[in-house]
Amino acid sequence: MTSIRKLTALTRAGVIESLQFRLGTAVTLFANLIYLALVYFLWKAIYDSSGVDAVNGMTFYDTMIYLILATAIFNLLEMFIVWDMSRAIQSGEIIMHLLKPMRYRLYTFWSYSGSHVISFFLTFLPTFIVVAIITKGAIPMGWNLLYFMISLILALIVNYNIEMLVAPICLYTESTWGINIVKETIVLLLSGASIPLAFFPEGFRRVVEYLPFRAVYDIPLTVLLGKNGTDTLQGLLPRLGVQLFWCIVLMILGNLFWNVAVKRITVNGG
Amino acid sequence: MEVQMKKKRGLRFYLSIYKKILIQDLKSKMSYRADFVISTFGMVLTNISGFITFMILFHNFPSVNGWDYHHMLFLYGFSLIALTPVQCFFDNNWNLRFMVRSGDFIKYCFRPINVFFYFISEVFDVKGLGQFAFGLGTFIYAWNKIGIPVTVVNIAEAVLFLLTASLFMIALMNLAAATCFWIINSGYVMVIMFRFKDFAKYPASIFSGVFRFIFTFLIPIAFVAYYPSLVFVTPDHVPLLSWLSPFIGIAFFYVSYKFWMLGVRRYDFTGS
Repeated sequence: MTSIRKLTALTRAGVIESLQFRLGTAVTLFANLIYLALVYFLWKAIYDSSGVDAVNGMTFYDTMIYLILATAIFNLLEMFIVWDMSRAIQSGEIIMHLLKPMRYRLYTFWSYSGSHVISFFLTFLPTFIVVAIITKGAIPMGWNLLYFMISLILALIVNYNIEMLVAPICLYTESTWGINIVKETIVLLLSGASIPLAFFPEGFRRVVEYLPFRAVYDIPLTVLLGKNGTDTLQGLLPRLGVQLFWCIVLMILGNLFWNVAVKRITVNGG
Repeated sequence: MEVQMKKKRGLRFYLSIYKKILIQDLKSKMSYRADFVISTFGMVLTNISGFITFMILFHNFPSVNGWDYHHMLFLYGFSLIALTPVQCFFDNNWNLRFMVRSGDFIKYCFRPINVFFYFISEVFDVKGLGQFAFGLGTFIYAWNKIGIPVTVVNIAEAVLFLLTASLFMIALMNLAAATCFWIINSGYVMVIMFRFKDFAKYPASIFSGVFRFIFTFLIPIAFVAYYPSLVFVTPDHVPLLSWLSPFIGIAFFYVSYKFWMLGVRRYDFTGS
């Protein structure tokens, strides 16, 4: 069993590394705010034209909070594992990772954790505060914040496992851009990050409910807004259970695929 | 001697060079067929996903700010076509930061032709053509449904306005890419700029106040589809900005080109 000190050392290294790119963090935060303005105007116009306050249980403020924070979560969760792995495979550097006295999957997860921490405090949290102020208290402030944090961490693990399930495909083809865009498009559409799942037509939504993607965006955001009965434990626990279920299933699948794929690695020289 | 050199470098000279570089690029791409298939599939998938999002929106909301389904579809198709050139012809901007950082960029400075031209012409992105086909289909469908008369003038105007509208996104990406001459690893600037294009397909009349100014003149996504589309959608009330958009587009492109070249000069100066 890897000791916890090894893991936190990786987190610390990640924090220090991310702090090197302060400008990038500032620009991302600034872009989030401009994005916030775009979403605000677009959905305000949409709701004004419709003449009703709530559509499918979502008010204008709900939709806005949902979409802005989906973007902020996207920045927070963004990992470049597919790119990293593809580069490591093509350069042969992958062999150095495999020789490390720590399992590759574990190492990757923890070496990203530092940038997650920084990104949470420097971009997600400020965006969250701005949204909370603009929507004038439409975000409930109570235990739901704690549940949201739990749900967000589970979302991070699900997202990481999706990445890890897709990345070894790079051992079979050199089409990194193609694989990455297919993954990203599917995740963003079917998780509710592009348009809230509440707006999906009934049949389509029922299919999406059975897929793992909503565990990344829809569930944490629904929990935060306290929608669909998530303000009670009976409504909350099944959703966290769904996230946990996908964490485990995707981890097992990813492990199996990685163990098969890793046998294909051939490094010339090095 | 010098006069002769100048004469040679007209438009025809650059076109013939472009053709040669293009053929080399396509040849090298042909050797990665699986990559081509997967990337094209990915590109088609992003368009389908965008379209599904659009349909879900209209499933819940019948109109946006007075724009009904077919008019919105017109804007959507227009934006997809106008965003094709930046995808097809200017894709190499995405590699600029790696080239500058590694020092490989210096090779472009040693050729007796325009650096910007040589760098940009090196990559032609074939998969952008899928988006073009998708956009053209949507555009023609919406054009018919709205009932815009099919006249020579209208078609000529459509071509002109589509071409000039494409300059805005090209200019934005040139500016974003050129930041890498000053900031190391400035890829995120490009990623952010590229994300704004998703909002080009909505009527800019939704913005008010200072944001209207920002999205018209600073991050000019309102010119990608909205202003030029008004020429066709509301031919009786075309705002002045719509008629001016071709000139503004050329001006924007020129500024971005100058900024890019300024970066190149700075790169020369630093040496490597």
